[in-house]
Amino acid sequence: MDFRPITDSERRQLVGALRGNAESNQAIMMDRRDTSFVGSANDVTDEEVISAIKSVPCHY
Amino acid sequence: MKRILVHQPATRRSNAAAIGSSRASLRQVVFTDEVSRTLFAEYRDHRLSEQSQVETGWVLLGQRYGEEAIVLAVLPAGRNADAGVGHVRFNAALQAVAARILLQQDRRLTIVGIVHTHPGSLRHPSAQDLEGDMTWVKQLKGGAGIFGIGTADGDSQGAYATQPRSNVQCWGRLRFSWYALGATDHAYWPLPYRLTLGPDLARPLHPLWPVLESNAEWLDRVASRQVGTRFEIISGSDGKALMVSLPLADADSALRVILKGEEVEYLRFHHGEPCEAD
Repeated sequence: MDFRPITDSERRQLVGALRGNAESNQAIMMDRRDTSFVGSANDVTDEEVISAIKSVPCHY
Repeated sequence: MKRILVHQPATRRSNAAAIGSSRASLRQVVFTDEVSRTLFAEYRDHRLSEQSQVETGWVLLGQRYGEEAIVLAVLPAGRNADAGVGHVRFNAALQAVAARILLQQDRRLTIVGIVHTHPGSLRHPSAQDLEGDMTWVKQLKGGAGIFGIGTADGDSQGAYATQPRSNVQCWGRLRFSWYALGATDHAYWPLPYRLTLGPDLARPLHPLWPVLESNAEWLDRVASRQVGTRFEIISGSDGKALMVSLPLADADSALRVILKGEEVEYLRFHHGEPCEAD
């Protein structure tokens, strides 16, 4: 086993998946070999889209 | 909870490796005719305005299919964007609210890239752009994004748009040059494009941009915190308005806020019937 702190991007993905599950019954997917979290039915959730829009960097 | 831990199987590839070759993951971008018209029309308006020497831009929303991305909506930088001769930072709250409205209609939409303009004739993203975009594209589906540069040095063929190179689109004095960048790349590469018939899904929002921009911060805050918030564009005899529906704690009760110009109207509904709002 290799445990490590969750990264920001994984945290956003996890929160998005939990929100999608609570609001829209989206499946939370699990790796059958080791039960690790491998995303949600929608691979990019609405909140992830919004998060990406909000984090568009300044352009020059 | 102080920390969340996630199990990293020893056999799992790193993000970068999982994304693989970004160049292979995105080979072409497809624009609908209406999206292309919006981009050229809004860029032309910008060039004719007093802000012509200031940078502007758009967010591109669409879908990813295999090695292609199709752009189905463009969201403008906004009047409140932080922009100058050498930079532009979009009004993210405006674009977030607009995206929320469009995502209610089609949940397959995702952000596929951005476009920004250069007042001069630099037809390629700058080194500073690369620095920010390399990190940003990791959030995008497929780990790759589309990056357009608008310049005012087209081929001057005004009657119709031309494609002098596979990644270059010109109409009159305006030019868009298209590139892609993946999370594992160290440089943008020219991205071929093609056109198809189709909508700009953001077009119905155009009459509402001023209202959306004036109220973007609180609309986005409410939508992110209040589950079940719905947006709807409604038409009246004197133009379009934005209606925001918020479910209330009472069963079958909702608050509707109608935004039109400077006017804000609150309506409370119970069992679908209007009643007085406090």
